Amino acid sequence: MNAPDRYERFVVPEGTKKVSYERDTKIINAASFTVEREDHTIGNILRMQLHRDPNVLFAGYKLPHPLQYKIIVRIHTTSQSSPMQAYNQSINDLDKELDHLKTAFEAELLKFSRDY
Amino acid sequence: MEGLSYARMPRVKIRELKDDYCKFELRDTDASMANALRRVMIAEVPTIAIDLVEIEVNSSVLIDEFIAHRLGLIPLTSERAMSMRFSRDCDACDGDGQCEFCSVEFHLRVKCMTDNTLDVTSKDLYSSDHTVVPVDFDANTTTTTDDNNNSRANSGIIIVKLRRGQELRLRAIARKGIGKDHAKWSPAATVSFMYQPEIHINDDLMETLTLQEKREWVESSPTHVFEIDPVTQQVTVVDAEAYTYDDEVIKKAEAMGKPGLVDIIAKQDSFIFTVETTGSIKASQLVLNAIEILKQKLDAVRLSEDTVEADDQFGELGAHMRGG
Ligand SMILES: [Zn+2]
Repeated sequence: MNAPDRYERFVVPEGTKKVSYERDTKIINAASFTVEREDHTIGNILRMQLHRDPNVLFAGYKLPHPLQYKIIVRIHTTSQSSPMQAYNQSINDLDKELDHLKTAFEAELLKFSRDY
Repeated sequence: MEGLSYARMPRVKIRELKDDYCKFELRDTDASMANALRRVMIAEVPTIAIDLVEIEVNSSVLIDEFIAHRLGLIPLTSERAMSMRFSRDCDACDGDGQCEFCSVEFHLRVKCMTDNTLDVTSKDLYSSDHTVVPVDFDANTTTTTDDNNNSRANSGIIIVKLRRGQELRLRAIARKGIGKDHAKWSPAATVSFMYQPEIHINDDLMETLTLQEKREWVESSPTHVFEIDPVTQQVTVVDAEAYTYDDEVIKKAEAMGKPGLVDIIAKQDSFIFTVETTGSIKASQLVLNAIEILKQKLDAVRLSEDTVEADDQFGELGAHMRGG
């Protein structure tokens, strides 16, 4: 009767921001991004992509609690970059990778259906 | 800074392709991407499934809820799902979830009039939309199965059995959903990936073994990975991918006093995917939809304008305070 709705796991509640940003108060060029209603799927690809950026000194994510449907991504960069810049770039690069993957898979699909 | 990119260019090679099955190689990317694709295929690619059932008459042996649950689990052809609306954000029916943009209606009316048991199956469901129907498993099965069991062929998915006089009459609403909400919406039967193994046999060390020892070592693998060439009596790798990373051959080599007999590496950037669907969408389509959904998810986690602006002001303020 009082069970929470299942969609609470993946629908961002009204009035809540999908991504919020908080600068570190002690370390320059360090910040945390709180991403609502996301999990390891996004957290892990973001983290691994951030590791490919040489200006990123630290990148990690955590799912604070299995019943809190959010992840926290923490980024620390050199002075050449900023957490926000690194975050945006990682999303752009992942998007590019997926675009490439899509065309590669479609081309392969076409080739495959022709050959067999 | 513009133009600098750390994006990878993954390669794909399809090995096997059927309507509901696909095996492919994914290279030049990492486990995070492979796993994200796997997770999205299982839990976030949408399909259509029965979500609301109104029972008019049910004099069968199964209770209403039991039948409603079974109806939900029947896979429906869901090519339309990607372009359909979720009922919860459909403004055409205002959250009612019963309009043509976000739902498909089904009817089922069956009554048993004879002394023979009557099977009520997914074939008794009548859809209001000919593109969304229960998956027909017999339509695309090859000729191999229908020789000896004709009775099973073309039978659909059984829902309940009726005896004389029993009746089932209902109306059902199917909606778009994802596996994260309820597993009935998952298009995936199995999605798995493995690291591609690279097996190197130390030939010099191998030649110090007698034929009997070689046989023993080859047999120690629980799967058929190695073979002894009948002519040259050399140990060869016949199927590297049959290796399950069980370490048995490595332990065996050590037990035989021959450590380093074989070197097995899991290639960190090469994956072999196996994708199997419930029939609701094609396996190849599942992969493409997963890529699309992952792109949409990434787009949703981009920083909004006001967050960036707020930070710019903060930055200026900070610079100001620092005397900049
Ligand atoms: Zn609607």
